[in-house]
Amino acid sequence: MEIKITKEKIEFEKELNNLDMLVFDFVRALEGFDIEYVLVSGYVSILFGRSRSSEDIDIIVERIDQSLFNTLWNELSKKFECIITKDKNDAYKDYLLAGHSIRFSRKNEFIPNIEIKFPKVELDAWTLRNRKRVILNEQILYMSPIELQIPFKLFLGSEKDNLRDT
Amino acid sequence: MKTPRIDLKELEKLKEENFRDRLEFIDRYTEWLKRTKNRKWSSEQKRIIDQTGKSKNS
Repeated sequence: MEIKITKEKIEFEKELNNLDMLVFDFVRALEGFDIEYVLVSGYVSILFGRSRSSEDIDIIVERIDQSLFNTLWNELSKKFECIITKDKNDAYKDYLLAGHSIRFSRKNEFIPNIEIKFPKVELDAWTLRNRKRVILNEQILYMSPIELQIPFKLFLGSEKDNLRDT
Repeated sequence: MKTPRIDLKELEKLKEENFRDRLEFIDRYTEWLKRTKNRKWSSEQKRIIDQTGKSKNS
């Protein structure tokens, strides 16, 4: 594996798969409005080579106000649909503000989908503040620090995402 | 249908063995990733992930 790792960034190139392209499409919309995000959980190990698919990609998004959320929703609606609710007010107030996540898939697809949530606990906020920059095929992504992925997986002890994956 | 008698201790042992086998496989897989060119591993990864995605949505 050819990869450059420094304190500031991780840089490498790979042939993009459908999950990678889904992620790029989604985060480009976030970046279009300067919304900070961080990729967490299973996709991080997939990004670096694990060959398993995933039904969802988890993203923590900074808490934004409803006006900006509405703008983001409209932009996302060009390529994606929210599979939890069709109502952007519900999505914002009943889900995101209430500490729940919402999911977006490509139109007329259900899986894979992107699950987004606002920071819910201090750990989420810390992850967002300490996100790591990844340059993949000259495009930027932000992911959870590896140091966090390891104890997180150890603590959760999920069957599909075990400690060594990280 | 008559269900088999299940020995939970035996299953627990099996679970531990499976977990150990899995960790060993992941170690080997990681070593393979490290010594393999990005173009090769990512091409294989793409084949697997894209194929899985197709079957899930079909």
